[in-house]
Amino acid sequence: MNLARKKYPIFISFILFTTYLVFVDLVDGDWASLENSLENLSTFFHESLWPPNWKVIEAQSYPTCDRSWDFLCSPAYIGIMETLKIALVSTGFGFIISLPLATLASRNLYSDSIALPFRFVLAAMRTLPSIIWAIFFVILVGLGPVSGVLAMTFYTVGYLGKLQYETIEGLSNDPLDAAKAMGLNNGEIIQRVVIPETANNLISQLFFMFEYNVRHGSVIGIVGAGGIGYYISTYLKFLQYDKVIALLIILFFVVIAIDLISIKARSYFVDDATFKSPSLFGNIFRTKK
Amino acid sequence: MISVIHAVDLKIGYSPDSILAKINKLEIEQGDVVSIVGKSGIGKTTFLKNIAHLVNPVSGTLKVFGTDEEPKRGVIGYIPQKLGLIKHETVYSNVLEGAICNESILRSMSGFHEEKVIDKVKEAIELMDLSDKIDEPVKRLSGGQQRRVAIARTIAQGPKLILADEFLSELDDKTVEDVWKAMLEYVESNNITLVIVEHNLERAKLAKRCFKLEKDNEDYSILSEVEA
Repeated sequence: MNLARKKYPIFISFILFTTYLVFVDLVDGDWASLENSLENLSTFFHESLWPPNWKVIEAQSYPTCDRSWDFLCSPAYIGIMETLKIALVSTGFGFIISLPLATLASRNLYSDSIALPFRFVLAAMRTLPSIIWAIFFVILVGLGPVSGVLAMTFYTVGYLGKLQYETIEGLSNDPLDAAKAMGLNNGEIIQRVVIPETANNLISQLFFMFEYNVRHGSVIGIVGAGGIGYYISTYLKFLQYDKVIALLIILFFVVIAIDLISIKARSYFVDDATFKSPSLFGNIFRTKK
Repeated sequence: MISVIHAVDLKIGYSPDSILAKINKLEIEQGDVVSIVGKSGIGKTTFLKNIAHLVNPVSGTLKVFGTDEEPKRGVIGYIPQKLGLIKHETVYSNVLEGAICNESILRSMSGFHEEKVIDKVKEAIELMDLSDKIDEPVKRLSGGQQRRVAIARTIAQGPKLILADEFLSELDDKTVEDVWKAMLEYVESNNITLVIVEHNLERAKLAKRCFKLEKDNEDYSILSEVEA
């Protein structure tokens, strides 16, 4: 056993002890607030949350809907579809805007005097979570999916931009050196070296971001930026928790489905050597070969 | 004879406090085939990068084609140690990267390449005997074939000076002989200057002039000519 392994128990004990101390500090002696928490949860669960109210998958009376199948006029379907559309559009716009910014922020392509201001811009866009951007755009353009798209696009640019410039900076120097020595300009180097060399990672990050935006699409709806979050927020206001839980269950399964599709799609791009096609269960319960 | 590389009192390294090598005087002319030999970490690659304008010298004079400014597009061909190929791309696409030096930036970026550029790509691929691999991704080729692609990329560029960093390493003797022969035939028939960096003295002596970088009494290494 080497020294590093011997230190693991000490390290883990230290982390647990520190966490406990910080928790005690946060509770600040008010242990009474925790005493009835389980009982409260049980009451809330049985009286308000469970069973879920599946009326959310039935057609709503307003706005009028002409579709033949009830489900297609339900809050669950309309909300989920809007969330998916917001995520799709904002991921697409975000990718198109972030890629040029990320190349300008890469220190192996541009000098610090150019790269650092662009990094600052990306960091600033990333600092505000999408929900804050959503509040900002709801004030600016009003309630609805447009403010959702704008909010998510801004956040996507900041987040995806960082992932992209880190990938570009991780490129091997050799192809860049060969291209620079030839006398190619930065535009040509990006087109002929950077994009082809990083394409697999960029596509993988794009899938990841879409999946992330679907999850967050439900949150930004709460402030009126469209999607399923709008319905969750409305039901919360009217204390219809049974409908909220029904929507959350549907959202959970949609996110799981997108997650699995995304992992499967990404697996075709991450490892360029061999195209692997993992089974759906293999994605969740990975087994060592 | 036209001077291609002219160096006097040149110090190379990363900073004035970390000098790797000193070159008192070096004159390489058009058509010279030169090798630089020395142990790992002694400054061979850094010197090559200085010539290619990828790294600036710490002090002294270094003129390439009579000037210390960056040469015109396509004049210098650089083959890095790991070749610098785009592994996912095809042989054609990699060689095209070199050939676009012969057209305007607008043409090259728009993808509407001039016919002469396409011809140069095909000629270079043919010359390196890679015609049957033209649409193969580079990652599927053997080490020797990948080196041929790197040479084809440089040939398509039409350079006047080729800098090759240990491009014969990790190859078996037969492949070394083939790759070296192909390179030599090309540079000799086109009066191109070739500078190769090698850590293997036997391979370095394949060149017509051989220089050795080795540690002197100083902290840094000194370049001196040895018999090829």
